[in-house]
Amino acid sequence: MLPLYVVNNHGQFNHLILRTLRDMDIEAVMISNETPPAEVARGCRGIILGGGPTLDRAGFAPLYLDLGLPVLGICLGLHIMATARGGAVRRGASGGFGAVEVDVLKQNSLLQGYPDRIHVWASHADEVSTVPEGFVRLAESAICSVEAMASPDERLYGVQWHPEVSHTVNGRLLFENFDRLCSE
Amino acid sequence: MVNVEKFIDQAIRRIRDAAGEEKVVMALSGGVDSSVCAELASRAIGDRLIPIYVDTGLMRKGETERIRSLFDGKNLHIVDAGDEFFAALKGVADPEAKRKAIGEKFVRIFEREAKRKGATMLLQGTIYPDRIESEGGIKSHHNVGGMPLDIKFKGVIEPLADLYKDEVREVAGGLGLPVEIQHRMPFPGPGLAVRVLGEVTREKIAIVREANAIVEECLVEEFHPWQCFAALIGLGTGVKGDVRLLGWIVAVRAVQSRDGMTADPLLLPHETLSRMAARITAAIPGVSRVVYDVTPKPPATIEYE
Repeated sequence: MLPLYVVNNHGQFNHLILRTLRDMDIEAVMISNETPPAEVARGCRGIILGGGPTLDRAGFAPLYLDLGLPVLGICLGLHIMATARGGAVRRGASGGFGAVEVDVLKQNSLLQGYPDRIHVWASHADEVSTVPEGFVRLAESAICSVEAMASPDERLYGVQWHPEVSHTVNGRLLFENFDRLCSE
Repeated sequence: MVNVEKFIDQAIRRIRDAAGEEKVVMALSGGVDSSVCAELASRAIGDRLIPIYVDTGLMRKGETERIRSLFDGKNLHIVDAGDEFFAALKGVADPEAKRKAIGEKFVRIFEREAKRKGATMLLQGTIYPDRIESEGGIKSHHNVGGMPLDIKFKGVIEPLADLYKDEVREVAGGLGLPVEIQHRMPFPGPGLAVRVLGEVTREKIAIVREANAIVEECLVEEFHPWQCFAALIGLGTGVKGDVRLLGWIVAVRAVQSRDGMTADPLLLPHETLSRMAARITAAIPGVSRVVYDVTPKPPATIEYE
């Protein structure tokens, strides 16, 4: 079975994604966001876009959405997904740093198994302000209206929080769900 | 979690391959990272490893004596370099400049001692979070990135570069290192220098060293924090014995964490905080105020600079 690719968008938690997958015995490889899309298409069964400081350093990451593979965008990865598909991102009225309570709006395969309220950790100043066409909002919080979104037909998923950090409660479940979506 | 047995075998083989027939110096701080490195390298290349402990003058209370007794008889070379570090830090107030100055001095001392010992390679206990923070431009660590370019070593070996702290502790257990080392709190490479905001002086280091010792005594055994320490964050008005004092503000930080990447402040009982504040202000004449830091990481980092 092909591995999952974790795209390094220069965020300090990117390697924790790899570590979480490693701890779960899911084979994964970290790649640069400058990797040619064709190479990405050949090498993996699903893509995780990690977080990072700025969209300006996202490299080819937006192009990875068009490969027909499932994609999970985390933090900046979510913003990459939103902007690439015609949505918009803006500086949030309040940043999300540290603990955030997220409410699940719609049961779906990415958040399957989570309770209605999830205790997560976040680290972001920006947020999705316009959800792109074809996407649905999956979760929100008091400080951010798009905590998660998805285009289930295309198997594109994004979350604003960091499921890979140890302070997020049961972050593994999200990777487990995504791994299953990538195996279908 | 890392597969300990497999990791140990691989690391020993890699060190042996990388070192070839060269003599290797390493920075031994006595923390879990460098101690694990020393043990792995000593198994890999025996007495071609020369562990060097640099007393930067920025170490914790009693640290040098403890290292001396722990690593006695293991080829350990101790360098008393406090004067050199304080000279290099004179007039330097910017946090990044401080880290760079210390990193530069550190490597220079290593070059010098390595030459004396006839060693041509450098072994370092860099772990993964050091690397990501340096690469991401968040904070430069003295053992990564801050390395001056005209370094004269043939090569640098970093056997722990893909591990997190909790994994290094697992490896320490696998290697049979003393429990005291295995569970040692992380201590930053630049030492107490990053626990003094702004310019570093002998006076400030002496104060923050004493405050750190008190914080550790009050918290380590009872609360088992991932890390706890004191930092001098500025001057504030106080009154001690009816005399107005423009004294140091000591910030106490105690956090829980799995891997240092995210961290939560400990919810310490008020009683503990009060006792600690009383001890610090009583024991250190120059301190007027003690505050407890309640910020998680993110947005704050664990250390102040």
